[in-house]
Amino acid sequence: MFKKYKLKKTPRRAGNAVPHERMRISFCTDLDKSVLVNNFEKRGWSQVSPDDDWNFYWASVQTCRNIFSVDSGYRMHDNQMINHFPNHYELSRKDLLVKNIKRYRKDLEREGNPLAERSEPTAAGAPRYVYLDFVPITFVLPADYNMFVEEYRKNPQSTWIMKPCGKSQGAGIFLINKLSKLKRWSREAKGPFHQQLSKESYVISKYIDNPLLIGGKKFDLRLYVLVTSFRPLKAYLFKQGFCRFCTVKYDTSVTELDNMYVHLTNVSVQKHGGEYNNLHGGKWSVQNLALYLEGTRGKEVTDRLFGSIAWLIVHSLRAVAPVMASDRHCFECYGYDIIIDNNLKPWLVEVNASPSLTSTTVTDRILKYKLIDNILSVVLPPDGVPDVRWNKIPSADALGNFDLLLDEELAAQEEQAQTAQPSTKGRGGGGNRWK
Amino acid sequence: MEELRDASIHHTAQKLAVAIKAMKNYDEIFKKVQILACSPGVDKNDLRNTLEDAIKSTGLETEIRNIVFHLVRNTLITETKSQEKIGHGADPLAYLRRSAVQWDRRVRKSLNAMCAELSMPLHGQPRAVMDRDELISKWEELSNYTIDLSNYRPVYAPKDLLDVLLSLKGPQKPPEDTEFVQVPNWEFSHIELPVKNLFELRLLFAELFRKEGTTNNLDLPTQCKRILDTKQAPLCQHFLKKGRTPAPFRGELWSFVLSHGSYMNGQECDHWARLRNKVLTTDHIVDKLIFKDIQLTASNDDQYFVFEDVLYQIMLCFSRDTEIANQIQFEKYPVKGRNYEGPPSGVVPFHGICMFAAPFCYLYDSSINLYFTFRAFYIRYCHRLTTINTHPQGIVSLCLLFEKLLQTHEPLLWSHFRELQIQPIRVVFKWLMRAFSGHLPPDQLLILWDLILGYDSLEVLSLFAIIILSFRKDSLLQVTSLDNIEAILADLSSIKVLPLIQLALCRD
Repeated sequence: MFKKYKLKKTPRRAGNAVPHERMRISFCTDLDKSVLVNNFEKRGWSQVSPDDDWNFYWASVQTCRNIFSVDSGYRMHDNQMINHFPNHYELSRKDLLVKNIKRYRKDLEREGNPLAERSEPTAAGAPRYVYLDFVPITFVLPADYNMFVEEYRKNPQSTWIMKPCGKSQGAGIFLINKLSKLKRWSREAKGPFHQQLSKESYVISKYIDNPLLIGGKKFDLRLYVLVTSFRPLKAYLFKQGFCRFCTVKYDTSVTELDNMYVHLTNVSVQKHGGEYNNLHGGKWSVQNLALYLEGTRGKEVTDRLFGSIAWLIVHSLRAVAPVMASDRHCFECYGYDIIIDNNLKPWLVEVNASPSLTSTTVTDRILKYKLIDNILSVVLPPDGVPDVRWNKIPSADALGNFDLLLDEELAAQEEQAQTAQPSTKGRGGGGNRWK
Repeated sequence: MEELRDASIHHTAQKLAVAIKAMKNYDEIFKKVQILACSPGVDKNDLRNTLEDAIKSTGLETEIRNIVFHLVRNTLITETKSQEKIGHGADPLAYLRRSAVQWDRRVRKSLNAMCAELSMPLHGQPRAVMDRDELISKWEELSNYTIDLSNYRPVYAPKDLLDVLLSLKGPQKPPEDTEFVQVPNWEFSHIELPVKNLFELRLLFAELFRKEGTTNNLDLPTQCKRILDTKQAPLCQHFLKKGRTPAPFRGELWSFVLSHGSYMNGQECDHWARLRNKVLTTDHIVDKLIFKDIQLTASNDDQYFVFEDVLYQIMLCFSRDTEIANQIQFEKYPVKGRNYEGPPSGVVPFHGICMFAAPFCYLYDSSINLYFTFRAFYIRYCHRLTTINTHPQGIVSLCLLFEKLLQTHEPLLWSHFRELQIQPIRVVFKWLMRAFSGHLPPDQLLILWDLILGYDSLEVLSLFAIIILSFRKDSLLQVTSLDNIEAILADLSSIKVLPLIQLALCRD
């Protein structure tokens, strides 16, 4: 099956760990997904086992952690690349994400950065950040229990959502609208039969109870964000995200509080609902969302919404950038889950470091195939051979369906060029609009 | 000559005046004029001029102009035409008219048969209290209103209509040569309907190539806003001709061109409420057919499934709207035999009918706005696509136009299809009959429909079908089975309407 596909590779610099005259790219994957393997084979790569010399590893987070752990003693060479950052959990674990964002805001506030401006305190609650208020109020349980109770008492009518920190795809999630229910849960969790539960920490977040409904149905957004470096930050947003719809009508009445199909939009949850549709899988493209919003709400608000989404992504990444191990061998594609409320304000719900590559529908398969193809073309140098010495500045053609969100290196270069030549007009500065 | 023209204008004006007086909102307009006549600006000594000024300055003039625009478009022109035809005596299209009436009867008969089979009264029956209460409580979420639909099936599908069209036999058609009974050379050429050639199409769509004058430096959204401010239907229609309608203004432009514009008054709301009430109080077989149709089409469509509940409301109310039956121009031909009654709207639901309404969901948040624009669109265009008729833009003419364009401008493809003994119309018919809804992604479909409204012509459908075949010609020429051809044409998600049409019309 494999085509004889040899790539020429000349060592460019002394100190190259493994000098190659001719190079055949080998890949390795823990996930037997057709969208991955088809893409690798299309590029003429050959599959090897993890113990062989691989150039490109699409690994599970666990494998990645093992490779980077001190015990493994594995040292990657210059022509190797892997699809996770060693401590991606700073972004993908719900409790750490919130911790990092809170710290980021405090740091900016201390610096006196105008981004950290707060509004006047209102009766409903503490002063909110004007520009950085993009995650629902969240506490880690059991650690922040008292803080949570304090916040809860300000607004006892509110509904909160409990999520286990380490689980994904909607597992272990439930809603709470009475403090007594939380107390009962905590008593049960501490009981003799649930020893393991008590060790697990939860986050409890203010539930977005005014979601934007389309056709009367609730949905969330799944967007794909590719990060090729955290310091300097280089991030790209895939144009073809999608909305995931609940199959059941949205209803806030108490009786529906336990019907998780109403509240959770995860496909893995929805798939068990009676009305799941195999042809569209409850997925609706972001392009259609934009068309609908422009047609019914106007262009300005639609543009503002998508602008706020990009803003939210960039700042969530900046919040974790200082603590991320920005290894040059790594890149990562994150699945961002975002809920839009009926004021068209986006809220970051969570970030997934290994978004599902299983395809539920034909459209989904096409989208994910394209996603992987575009990821490869962005993360690989122009000659297609993994190389950590490459500056990770892909050409415009290589971006495919990715839009550049931010490249701090490019932004700095542009800034320099502008100060050197003050006469040149600022070209909108694609890179530095987030400063 | 002058005199004749004057007389004709006078005649038209008289007709218009009669038509306006018969309109539902005539009283309202008349009252407005009465109020204006009493206003201080109007001088009774110079009533004519001062009242005219007052009418102009309040915007009532624009409203009346738009009424005249719609009247002329919808009734007057067709009236005179049909009168001419009848006067001629020997009508070369008589057989087509007969087929049209026969087809309509066949469809209704089949609905009647379904009623008999399922023992449902054709006129509907009062809805049971329990059922009504459930329907009321689920009105906003009709996808949760569950009924057993296993015994219901669509009355007809595009394929059924196509089969009838292909069997149309006119007097001019030469007796079939028994030696060569393969595929007839032409499927529709024997039908004496006038269709345009490419040159004429180019003239029709000239506005697509017109370069913006240098004096007009305004960007499209600003131009569009100004046009909407004038509230003039003809200007709105003209704007759509460019095919570059900014999405936020499309809904309003379309509603000016098709119906009432943005001044939605109490009448529309009352009418909608009455329709809803009719749905709630009577149980009709078409309800089941509508639910079935939406479940078979829009609910499974990844572009439209989110609007499922809106579509149930729209289509249910549509089925009860007797104004539709009054406004649709059915073919008339005396045919012997029993006549069968249809649903209140006169439209028997067929497979995919809701896909005509679905794209409107991208334009309107409110069901009422959506309903009236869609209804007008259906009456003016969709009806011509889904029934046999002699209209120059009816489905028969569109098939003929497609056939002629393909043979003249894509002879290679034409002979390829002939060699394979595949009728080319089979491949594109579903596109034509549904005006591409469900086939093109919504953003592109809405551009195509902009052109339909802008040029007030469905001919763009045949043209665009040819363009797609032509665009995929290389792949099509390499395959030899209908399945493979359909596979090549199944995914239109990469098709961009405007550049392809411009390219096709400007090349020689």
